[in-house]
Amino acid sequence: MQPCLKIGRSLMLAAVLSSSGGAFAQTLTLPERIEQCGTCHGEDGNSKLENIPSLAGQPAFFTLNALILMREGVRKVEAMAPFVKDLKDADIQALAEHYEKLTPKPSGETIDPALAERGAKISAQRRCESCHLPSLAGQQQMPRLAKQRIDYMIYAMKQYLTDQRTGADTAMTASIFGLRDDDLAALAHYAAGK
Amino acid sequence: MKGLSRTALLAGSIAGAFVLSIAPALSQAPPGLSALDKSDPAASKQDANLKPHATPPIVTPVDKLPLDKLKLPAGFKAEVYSSGHPGGRTMVQGPKGTIFMGTRLLGRVYAITEKDGKREVRTLLQGLTQPNGLAIKDGALYVLAINKVLRFDDIENKLDNPGEGVDLTDKFNLPPEIHHNWKYAAFGPDGKLYIQVGANCNICEINPGIHGQIRRYNPDGSGMEIVARGVRNTVGFDWHPVTKELWFTDNGRDWAGDAGPEDELNRVAKGQEGANYGFPYCHANGIPDPDIKKPNACAGVVMPAALTGPHSAGLGILFYTGEMFPKTYQNVGFIARRGSWNKAQKFGYDVVLARTTPDGKAKIEPFMTGLLDDKKNEFFGRPVYLLQMKDGSMLVSDEQNGATYRISYDAKTAAQAAPAKKK
Repeated sequence: MQPCLKIGRSLMLAAVLSSSGGAFAQTLTLPERIEQCGTCHGEDGNSKLENIPSLAGQPAFFTLNALILMREGVRKVEAMAPFVKDLKDADIQALAEHYEKLTPKPSGETIDPALAERGAKISAQRRCESCHLPSLAGQQQMPRLAKQRIDYMIYAMKQYLTDQRTGADTAMTASIFGLRDDDLAALAHYAAGK
Repeated sequence: MKGLSRTALLAGSIAGAFVLSIAPALSQAPPGLSALDKSDPAASKQDANLKPHATPPIVTPVDKLPLDKLKLPAGFKAEVYSSGHPGGRTMVQGPKGTIFMGTRLLGRVYAITEKDGKREVRTLLQGLTQPNGLAIKDGALYVLAINKVLRFDDIENKLDNPGEGVDLTDKFNLPPEIHHNWKYAAFGPDGKLYIQVGANCNICEINPGIHGQIRRYNPDGSGMEIVARGVRNTVGFDWHPVTKELWFTDNGRDWAGDAGPEDELNRVAKGQEGANYGFPYCHANGIPDPDIKKPNACAGVVMPAALTGPHSAGLGILFYTGEMFPKTYQNVGFIARRGSWNKAQKFGYDVVLARTTPDGKAKIEPFMTGLLDDKKNEFFGRPVYLLQMKDGSMLVSDEQNGATYRISYDAKTAAQAAPAKKK
């Protein structure tokens, strides 16, 4: 249904095929696993693919939480399911720590200054920074938004608004409740430029 | 479980779409709060950046558990009973001794069994939405998640293959809202299943026909009756062993100041089923709400049996009936306080006693402390629920560390400790 899932699926296939004879998660070493993640999320953790999030510089707790909730089937992301299925807590911890250390870089998408300016105002009203920090670098279970992909952030916010995704609680859904598509775009352009 | 979860998701998305379509240009809600919410963090003069503490979704190694921090009265001892069950909260025990444990975020139900003096933890169920409500009757485990009621018959003989359970969701007809709707459940002395339906906000006008209630049902989901109204968010109750009256903890509202209104311990007096406990207009010992006002806000409201401290988050309550603890603990309530978030100086993170008095009130005393360092304003664990074991010892679950501590009593060590105290 979403383009990211289609992309995710074909790349997933490529990744699985490239790792020796379709070997699954439990047999991979950490560097092999990072290579596998990098196929979609970027070698340096900065995604170049539409609707695929960057992981570079994400707080370790956020990545840890997200991967564990996907493994448990609480957060349902079809494209990720085969990769997280057999991951052990220790594997997930290692990945989370790895991505926290990488440097986030701009995605190359065009940031519209007018939209970004409006996004800054909406962000102030909705108090995004009280959780994601004034730098939008994120903390603990709250993700980094600065330099994240614009298309992915719009997609993620729509997921929250339609109850397709919940975080640790209903906080994120409530925070953007009532915003229209162009408001979400404004927020995304603002955050990507931080 | 996958099929079931998908149904829940669908119900959630329909509800979400409905809310959006009726309120497109809604005035903005503060971060983290429902759109109905009337919370005003600015007016509360609190630090607006306060937020709930995250629960780690992974195992805390045994040597990192805060066992050495725990402080208990003389003669009592704490030891690690089980660990390796991240986010474990509610506990019930089957007739064969299996301890079942519910979670919130992680969506799991654990089964803890004992083998050769050691505990084995297995993940019994997975992928549920906040399966905090667990109850046992006639060998069947009842699991209550958000808008989901499942019964697993003869569960202790099916620990390796519990199946999908009998789906009773439609019969219980619970609301789909997530906020304050993770369940607490227990069978009462009347054989009925008691559950709560919390307020779907921090502070708002609720629909009193649906939210802010304790209800009881026949075990098959029929015959619903409202036991208490105006209850913001109770996630723990028990019956007094002598009077058989229902006592419940209740979490007070947030964003009305660091000092309160205080959380409550309440009693449903015999013959007073259906009484009103005040939410959203009246809190604690008769404090009118600052954001939702009405004349005579506290008229006809049952006042608490005791106040249990500001933002302390009293969850599980257990009236002790075992033989191991001294006689002075007989029929005394133990309350696990998970600890505050909406308060700059942290508070709670302990287990307190509620000694009931003949007038239907209770006095709160400390029991298990040490998980909060007041000076550093830092906590090491979060006690959430309690379980009395057959030998009279008591388990305390620590959600933050995914562990349980066994509290036992030995009269000899108490006697040895006594002279030292006099020095």
